[in-house]
Amino acid sequence: MAPQDGLTMLSPRAGSAPGRSPHPLLSVDGLSVAYGRQEVVRGVGFAIGRAESLALIGESGSGKSTIARAVLRLLPSGGHATGRVAFDGQDVLGLPERRFRPLRGRAIGFVPQDPGNALNPVRTIGAQAEEAAALLDEPDRARRTRLILDTFAEVGLDDPRRVYESYPHQLSGGMLQRVLIGLAVLPRPALLVADEPTSALDVTVQKRILDLLSRLQQERGIGLLLITHDLAIAAERADALVVLKDGTIQEAGRTAAVFAAPASGYARRLHADVPSLHPDRYAGLRDAGLRRSQAGGGAPKIAVSAVSKTFTVDGRSLRAVDDVSFTVPAGTTHALVGESGSGKTTTIRLLLGLEQPDSGEIRVAGEPVTGRSHEALRAVRRQLQLVYQNPFTSLDPTWKVEALVREPLDRFGIGTRRERADRVRAVLADVGLGEHLLSRRPDALSGGQRQRVAIARSLVLKPDVIVLDEPTSALDVSVQAGIVEVLLSLQAELGLTYVFVSHDLALVRQFAHTVSVMHRGRIVEHGTVPDLFGSPQHAYTAALLDAIPSGAAGRAGAPHRRTRAAVGEALTA
Amino acid sequence: MRPSHRMAAGQRNPDMRNPYLIYAAKRLLQAVAVILLAYLFTFVVVSILPGDPVTNVLRDPQNGFTEEQIQAIVAAQGLDQPIPVQLWTSLSHFLTGDFGLSMRSSRPVATLIAEVLPSTLILASAGLAVALVVAFAIAYGTQLVPTRFGGGALRALPSLFLSVPNFVIGLVLIHAFGFQLGLFRVIEPDSAWATAFAAIALGIPISAQIAEVLIANLDHEARQDYAAVARSRGLGQARLFARHLLKPSSLPVVTVIALTVGEVLGGSLITEAVFGRTGIGSLVQRSAAAQDLPVLQAVVALAALVFVLVNLVADLVYPLLDPRLTLVGPPRRRADTADDTAAADLRTVTG
Repeated sequence: MAPQDGLTMLSPRAGSAPGRSPHPLLSVDGLSVAYGRQEVVRGVGFAIGRAESLALIGESGSGKSTIARAVLRLLPSGGHATGRVAFDGQDVLGLPERRFRPLRGRAIGFVPQDPGNALNPVRTIGAQAEEAAALLDEPDRARRTRLILDTFAEVGLDDPRRVYESYPHQLSGGMLQRVLIGLAVLPRPALLVADEPTSALDVTVQKRILDLLSRLQQERGIGLLLITHDLAIAAERADALVVLKDGTIQEAGRTAAVFAAPASGYARRLHADVPSLHPDRYAGLRDAGLRRSQAGGGAPKIAVSAVSKTFTVDGRSLRAVDDVSFTVPAGTTHALVGESGSGKTTTIRLLLGLEQPDSGEIRVAGEPVTGRSHEALRAVRRQLQLVYQNPFTSLDPTWKVEALVREPLDRFGIGTRRERADRVRAVLADVGLGEHLLSRRPDALSGGQRQRVAIARSLVLKPDVIVLDEPTSALDVSVQAGIVEVLLSLQAELGLTYVFVSHDLALVRQFAHTVSVMHRGRIVEHGTVPDLFGSPQHAYTAALLDAIPSGAAGRAGAPHRRTRAAVGEALTA
Repeated sequence: MRPSHRMAAGQRNPDMRNPYLIYAAKRLLQAVAVILLAYLFTFVVVSILPGDPVTNVLRDPQNGFTEEQIQAIVAAQGLDQPIPVQLWTSLSHFLTGDFGLSMRSSRPVATLIAEVLPSTLILASAGLAVALVVAFAIAYGTQLVPTRFGGGALRALPSLFLSVPNFVIGLVLIHAFGFQLGLFRVIEPDSAWATAFAAIALGIPISAQIAEVLIANLDHEARQDYAAVARSRGLGQARLFARHLLKPSSLPVVTVIALTVGEVLGGSLITEAVFGRTGIGSLVQRSAAAQDLPVLQAVVALAALVFVLVNLVADLVYPLLDPRLTLVGPPRRRADTADDTAAADLRTVTG
């Protein structure tokens, strides 16, 4: 296969440094992984030189995480890997566990996907860090602890002593990911395997974590195997890319080459689906919706005025929503943007009447939502529907699609049996699902299909307003693109008004007409999408925009990326 | 090592003085309240029920008491007093450990119980110890012994143990080790060997319940991300088990132990009968046959006390095993906002 040759060429340090091992740091050859009879990875090969980075890119099910696990020899029981995985020239797949164990941590470090689950919840961070420190040849316990605290400081944790004494649940996701990176680099491994290290984090945290990884990789000369579903991140952070689909390599090569001119159809599609690279991809549909709205007068469908909500947690009162106002003209999309804890979820809970505000008023189509009885709210709810964030938990797994979509009609007693069945079929067609799915249960659907079912369910009552709570954050980029397209064409066709909650500004730019940026319960900036993205006024908005991975090495990344890219250019020249 | 971290973390929290002590004090008060309520409930039920011991025993023609004698006894026992006064008298007696006299032997109930209680307590605690050792050994085996060396067969043990009643195990043990091998003399049931075998008979069925819960939890914890990450740090199976998996898996075991206390007590009564030991079991047997109400009441009160105490201990152990449990105030969801304040503290020092 061509990729190997193309990639080993990339390791000038490994080749030129005298006295170094002639082998690449990690070379994978004809790797296949099977669970029972089912082969999930087929004949994959690539190589990483010392201090070099390579990204495996693909959607869920592409086998990218399985490859990482196979390299780490952490495949779940039932998984069986064949082929050759050589670390510094030594085949590790065939080694007995007893001989591979000395390599764990010391030679190969692992940064896992979800920092919230990657540390033992009932042990202190310190106790777990001591395990990593035990891999160093340092007999003195106090000095080992010192090293841990130094590493914590190095990965940007403010109060290393406090972190050491804390339990995982006492730290935020970003801090936990720093801890995990610290624990992985502490025994000074030559290779770091990072499996979607930022997919569970907010954008700004994601940028800081990726910067940290890049910096450590540079300073310590670590080889990095980065697994990601985001082509923009991969292009920004890796020297070489391997694009995977269904367990086979679609395309591989130097980042600049693959990113600038993807050769395979699949890589081109991945590229097209990254929102930050194509801000005007849906301009036609989006602007059609806007024109239709303006033609109708653009009267405000939703008016939120001076709404505040305070919660009391542990005796401390916390202003979750603080004097928030915005209006949404009928038939347009308003995006609420912010990180976790910024108050966007509370705002939509208030909008949906699930919570009552302490002060202020919310009107939907001229009717107040606030201060109304449960019964009165029922009428409003018919006009006001929600699409929830995670389609994997928002659909009752024991129900069939037909019943799931029909339920709102039953609850409101609309039409005859016959009419309801017709309506369910029609609405499924609207979201692009065929009738053959009617008798399926959620288990038998893909993530994208599930979210389409959830959208169909919210559409079935013919509402005017749909609240979309991060509708694509649990989905792959390519699936996300399909959902965005469905939502936009529904808006253009039916004149729906959307309130779109997201932390992904690139997606907001593709999808929304107006934006409010929320930070600690307040709206710090609002405006139309072109204005806000063209010239952000507030520092927080600028930080959010800067955190969008653009794929351009050097632009969104740390300064050293620019020099690296230049070095790469010089090498090819 | 770990407790000292905990203390240090506690000291850093100035507005909440040792939440664990506050929690423990609250639980203790609740336990006392439960015991008092249980006592009150029993008392009310007994006084509402038709028939009373006076009629049953004193007016029994066989005993041949005269009406004067009966009145004298009733007055001496305070049974002519109003109900609230009787309740107060009996409660104060109960609290001072005075359960009155046995109707069968006329000796103080407290003395009767004190004579046999140590034997039962030894058997019950030894049985529980056997159950824990067997359960943890089986669970350890399922995690560490490879399937081809019989690791899978270990998983079948709990259901096997569960399906054999403890008196059958007791009889088999007596036959095999007492009669055949002569390890202990069956007519000396309080000897160390006999006690050990009685504890095994009692412990094995209970170990099955503990082992099943423990194995299921170990399997669950072993599949968690953190276990894989710990292995990526070079931890072997044995260390992974001891340092990572055991503690989180033990939490449900505490619940199971608290629930099986009734079984331990009931089981020790049966085991006592099988091995011919004197204990609470034999006392209950004799007293029930003789309708000796004061003794039976005292035993029931004692059982209730044991239940409450064991559950109190379980409640006190939970927070030590899982730091995530909120000790004070209502349970709360993992608040995004709390996370965010922590995230706000986060500053990139070097980046």
